[in-house]
Amino acid sequence: MKQFNRTLGKLGEDKATEYLRKNGFEVLERNYLTKFGEIDIIAVKDNILRFVEVKLKKGDDFGTPEEMIGKNKMFQVTRISQFYLMAKPDIAKKYDQYSIDAVCVVVDENEEVERINLYENIGF
Amino acid sequence: MLTKILSAAHFGLDPTPIEVEVNVFKKGFPGFSIIGLPNKSIEEAKERVKTALINSGFDFPNLKIIVNLAPADIPKEGSLYDLPIAIGILASMEEVILPKEKSFFYGELSLDGSLRHTKGAFLLALAARHEKVKNVFVPAPSANEASVVKGVDVYPVVSLKQLITHLNGGDKIEKFKHVNYDNETENANLVEFDFSEIIGQESAKRAMTIAAAGGHNIFMQGSPGAGKTMLARAAAGILPPLSEDESLEVTKIYSLTGNIPPGGGLIRTRPFRTAHHTTSIIGLIGGGSDPHPGEISLAHNGVLFLDEFPEFSRGTLEALRQPMEDGKISVTRIAASVDFPANFMLIAASNPCPCGYLGDPKKECKCTPRMIMKYQAKLSGPLMDRIDLHINVSPVDVDKLISTKSKPQTLNSKKIREQVIRAREIQQKRFKGLKVYTNSSMKNKHIKEFCDIDKGAYLLLKQAVNTYNLSARTYFRLIKVSQTIADLAGDKKIMPNHVAEALQYRIRTSE
Repeated sequence: MKQFNRTLGKLGEDKATEYLRKNGFEVLERNYLTKFGEIDIIAVKDNILRFVEVKLKKGDDFGTPEEMIGKNKMFQVTRISQFYLMAKPDIAKKYDQYSIDAVCVVVDENEEVERINLYENIGF
Repeated sequence: MLTKILSAAHFGLDPTPIEVEVNVFKKGFPGFSIIGLPNKSIEEAKERVKTALINSGFDFPNLKIIVNLAPADIPKEGSLYDLPIAIGILASMEEVILPKEKSFFYGELSLDGSLRHTKGAFLLALAARHEKVKNVFVPAPSANEASVVKGVDVYPVVSLKQLITHLNGGDKIEKFKHVNYDNETENANLVEFDFSEIIGQESAKRAMTIAAAGGHNIFMQGSPGAGKTMLARAAAGILPPLSEDESLEVTKIYSLTGNIPPGGGLIRTRPFRTAHHTTSIIGLIGGGSDPHPGEISLAHNGVLFLDEFPEFSRGTLEALRQPMEDGKISVTRIAASVDFPANFMLIAASNPCPCGYLGDPKKECKCTPRMIMKYQAKLSGPLMDRIDLHINVSPVDVDKLISTKSKPQTLNSKKIREQVIRAREIQQKRFKGLKVYTNSSMKNKHIKEFCDIDKGAYLLLKQAVNTYNLSARTYFRLIKVSQTIADLAGDKKIMPNHVAEALQYRIRTSE
């Protein structure tokens, strides 16, 4: 099951990266890992450094991916992003504004994308 | 960019100017925080301002916004900061040009961007005059309240969008012209009884007239159904209108507590407040960690009616003692100490014993002596000593009640009110320029200065003090009541008959 989740997660991140690139994002990092978790995608658009959380759901019978991003997830992403900014001061200095974004992907049984949405600045 | 908007906070009755500093950073993570000791209603301003701005057709910036309410060490409450915060954000985004003259912004935003009636507009205008701020922008429903204060330009704001257009040089908002607001008719409906409806009880009516004329506290005792409550409620109809100065004082308190309806202005009718005996001490006296006025302050310059007086908790009753004497109440909390005026006339009604029929001519009292003692002990000596008029309201004969034959001549409320107003006019002339409005609130030095006591009357007073062992306070209270009776009669001097009548109403110790 765990293995299965991971492959599905990977699928979501691939789809999201593809989607972001198409929409003019420059992807800097994927799966930035720290000891308290990871950030799926770090990208830049409009000179704003964005920390992107990706959520994928296979069919939304058991809730939408949007519902899966709660207070705790927000807290986690915020913390890791602050860690990232501290760890890489040169990048942090390069961009003035930061934001936390989310990409929500819903796929069907055949793992074809049903919908994909970008939410900018969800921490606000 | 940093912008500073002026507004005002109310702490007690003293408004303090508050600077709302808004800074919009184009740096770091976006966010919206309010600092400067805001309470929950200001915390929630975030959502109101955000939604109102979007619904008014502006973009809400996805940037780091910090709002500071300075001075930062005064706790702030209320929804009045919505408008200054919204204007501050827009000014920081350079979407609006702030006026060159000093201006106050004040008001609660609705989610659709319109402004709601906000309490305290009158106090804001007072602060503006004090701080020499020329313009105040208030919600349109509160504009009349603010415009009572002369020398301040009040702009009634209907919606955020309208205000922005005005500030940016588009369609101007007209200065508000004060409309005379008359709550006389509104209050007339509150008066349930006319004195002419009350059959018999002539002596009680007379006592009530004296009380209303001089602002004296009155205590009624009588069996159930004798008409105590009716008398008290009818008293609301004989109160004289407020004078200019009194009216301003009352309006201040009503503005602070939000008791002025939208479109309302100066309060011109005398307050008549009733409190149930379950009212808490703080509800009655005032208080709270952020001090708020209680019923006694809401009854300032008016009447506080406490029915079933001994049913109040002992602590509540004893707490009345100090404000009854001083005409004000100091509420001291950790945050601050605040003075509220509380110059009220107390009407108290009570049964003589738990069953209610002690001393009744027809029905027998079923209480044990112990029960009666316990009941009457609730009304402590010092408290009763502060009440000028004590009357017994005895039940009326059934024959009198149902007799259809020519009704006995009895004065109606309108006639009595005229008498009362005449007596108050005399008092007003007497205390001109002083902060004293009625005979009852005279201090001892005023009695020496103003009360002209006839020789015979003086002798009578002296005799009474000696035979009844009256306290010094009772002695002075007797003079005050005699003065009111003289004023009602239109006499310049206090004559022996006035004193004799006043003596009738003195405290009855259980004989």
